[in-house]
Amino acid sequence: MPVIPAISAICFSIVISPPHSRLYPPGESGRVVIGGARARAAEGHAVEETVQAATGSPSPDAAIDGGNFFGIPYGWPLAAVIVGVILFMWMARHPVRQVLWQIFFITGRVFGRWGLWLKEHGQAARVTCADKIASHRADELQDRMLMLEDRIGHRAEKLPKETTPIIARLDKSTHTLATTANDLADINLEDTAERAFRAAMPSIEQGRGLSKMEKTIAQNTARAMNERLVPVRPALTALKTEGPRLRDVAQKLGKIDQRFNQGVEQVNKAFTEFEAIVKSEDRVKVASQASILVPWLIAILVTGIALSGVFLNFFLIERPMSEIVGEGARIAGIGLPTFAAMIVIFLEFVTGVILMDSAGFTRLIPAFHSMSDGGRKIMFWVAFTFLAAFSVLEATLSIVREQIIEQQQETRDLANRALVSPTLAAPQPAAASPEAAAPAESATRADETRKAGLQLATIAQLILAVLIPWLLAAAALPLETIIRNSVFMVSIASSYFLLALAFICKTIAVALKGAGLFVLSVYDLIIFVPLGIQRMVTGKRGSRRSEDRRERKERRKEEEASSDDDDPMTLNQPISKRERREREKELKRA
Amino acid sequence: MMRRLLLGALTATALAGLAACGLITSTSRSVFVVFDVSGTYVKAVPDATKYANLMIAELQPGDWLGVSQISACSFSEKEIILQRQLPETPSLASAAKRELFTQLGAYAAQVKSAKYTDIKGALAQAAFELRQRPEAQRYIVLFSDMVEDHGKTCDTSNIKLDLKGINVIAANVIKSNPADPDKYFALLEKWEQAVKDAGGTWSLVASPDQLPKLVASR
Repeated sequence: MPVIPAISAICFSIVISPPHSRLYPPGESGRVVIGGARARAAEGHAVEETVQAATGSPSPDAAIDGGNFFGIPYGWPLAAVIVGVILFMWMARHPVRQVLWQIFFITGRVFGRWGLWLKEHGQAARVTCADKIASHRADELQDRMLMLEDRIGHRAEKLPKETTPIIARLDKSTHTLATTANDLADINLEDTAERAFRAAMPSIEQGRGLSKMEKTIAQNTARAMNERLVPVRPALTALKTEGPRLRDVAQKLGKIDQRFNQGVEQVNKAFTEFEAIVKSEDRVKVASQASILVPWLIAILVTGIALSGVFLNFFLIERPMSEIVGEGARIAGIGLPTFAAMIVIFLEFVTGVILMDSAGFTRLIPAFHSMSDGGRKIMFWVAFTFLAAFSVLEATLSIVREQIIEQQQETRDLANRALVSPTLAAPQPAAASPEAAAPAESATRADETRKAGLQLATIAQLILAVLIPWLLAAAALPLETIIRNSVFMVSIASSYFLLALAFICKTIAVALKGAGLFVLSVYDLIIFVPLGIQRMVTGKRGSRRSEDRRERKERRKEEEASSDDDDPMTLNQPISKRERREREKELKRA
Repeated sequence: MMRRLLLGALTATALAGLAACGLITSTSRSVFVVFDVSGTYVKAVPDATKYANLMIAELQPGDWLGVSQISACSFSEKEIILQRQLPETPSLASAAKRELFTQLGAYAAQVKSAKYTDIKGALAQAAFELRQRPEAQRYIVLFSDMVEDHGKTCDTSNIKLDLKGINVIAANVIKSNPADPDKYFALLEKWEQAVKDAGGTWSLVASPDQLPKLVASR
């Protein structure tokens, strides 16, 4: 390599010649002209200042001698030190390489392993979560199918009641129509007309008059026809009546059929989806089709509204609770009435949860799943009774609250009135006088108005107190969605977090490996002169090839170490051609 | 059966533990009101009882109230006018407060003047009574002009007061000599120092509405 000696010569010349020698003539060595001083220097009034070569700061010694580099004077001493250092680095190249390999590649590998581990666990968590979501969706569909089946069953039970009168009516109509059809079929108009004509013949023979004959024939025919049509008329009426009735019955049957078909379609749809979920191997795809966020947000909104009701309820019952539990004590810094009010609200909520679970609206308590229908009914009525009792309790407390407020206000008013009244009693006007009567009347009126207002406020509080426990019970409905979907969301977020961590670890691993390679290259660059000499010497001895082979082996080892982790996260070393070909072959075979 | 007994015992122990750990604490306070009935202040006692009423109206159920007066020799049970704990429930507490108003009104109507003013003796008596109380917050409300005047037979000027944990509130301190404000302020400073030296805290209430806030809102 002819380039290496050339670079070596340039570096060597740079090292042995001090920096100022490249800037200024030998006569001005060790001095640097600051700012526009160069022009003034030309004029003979140079303002000069020496600077340290390494740091750039002025050095007082620099003006005296030729400058130094960390105490080593420029020139041959510095060059000798650098050569010494390079030689030392060349001699220590194997242990230093091992240390660097240890620092960068081992640490990188550790991060790479962590990345792989985190990625595997993140993916496993994602798959598990998707599986859970799919299972939950399947459960939901199963419940829906059961519900629809139940509904169809109930409908089928009611069907005989609905169809029996319709069928009876159909039978009746069919019978009527059959009778009418027979009657109509029995009518033989030709025979009747002939009979009428024959009956008219004797009178024709007697009369011999043509006009009379025509008249007699017409009369006889008309009478005979009339007599024959008498039984036909009710049949025609029956036809007229039964026609619309049959249409109604047909419509009703059509509706029943439609309803049944709808139910069956719903069941079929649910079953198809259920089958697809159960059979599908792509659980992530199935899970992504199930909506989690929207029901969760709706549930949060509903629960938030319910919680505002709880807040209102709390303020309604907090004060009157002091009439039951008394004041004067604190539990963990919370006043006893406040604590008691909170407990009552929690109890109401728990009762609501039990009520909703026993009614089958929610599935928060596992014990209810395995309970018999009778047991669930009992629990439902127990919870219902408790909730009703809580409602009554709150209504009573709302009345007590109003009384307490009134009493406290009256006590304060009494104290305030005593303060503003004169110390010595002023002479009061006579009771019968109009001056005395007017304020008394106005006071009575004001008192009545106040009492009416209080009554209204009490009624409003009563209504709220009665309603709120039931609303709290309804808050249990979205709670199930919140709990279940929160678990899913946390699982999904955790899996993505693990994957993100895996990505960070892999990035660090690649960065460390890259940095290691760079540092090793820099190290080789620094010691390239002795390395070159070593190669030349060993080459003369005939073992250059073996040295090269050893170097190549080492490098390959390092490269293998750097590309040890088989990671599809696009941060690895490219795959070799042979490996690629093998993989392609495998793919083709597959 | 044994399991139930064990569960009950555990619950009782847990509750006792909670109480022992300070999780269950009392919010009640004890207030001792002292009226000065010396010649210089006895005329202001009816007004002072009204201010006291304002404060009593704001007391919480479960609070304790004592009333005594400053006379010639105040460190005596004879000077205690009433002692009462308000019921725990608000409705009963309201009724008790009204009774207290009546009692204080009756006291103000028949109050008699004393020859001397033994403020330290009254403070010592009030502190002694408050120390017997379990309530954590303790107040002495003084309705006085804070001018001491000891008789020969009952000189308590040199007694050592112990007012640790007690808040002393001087309310409605009238100016006995309007021509000498310096003396008034010096007097207040002297009492403040004396209370603080005895381990208590000192507050001065100028207007009637401040007193309930100072006592009841803490």
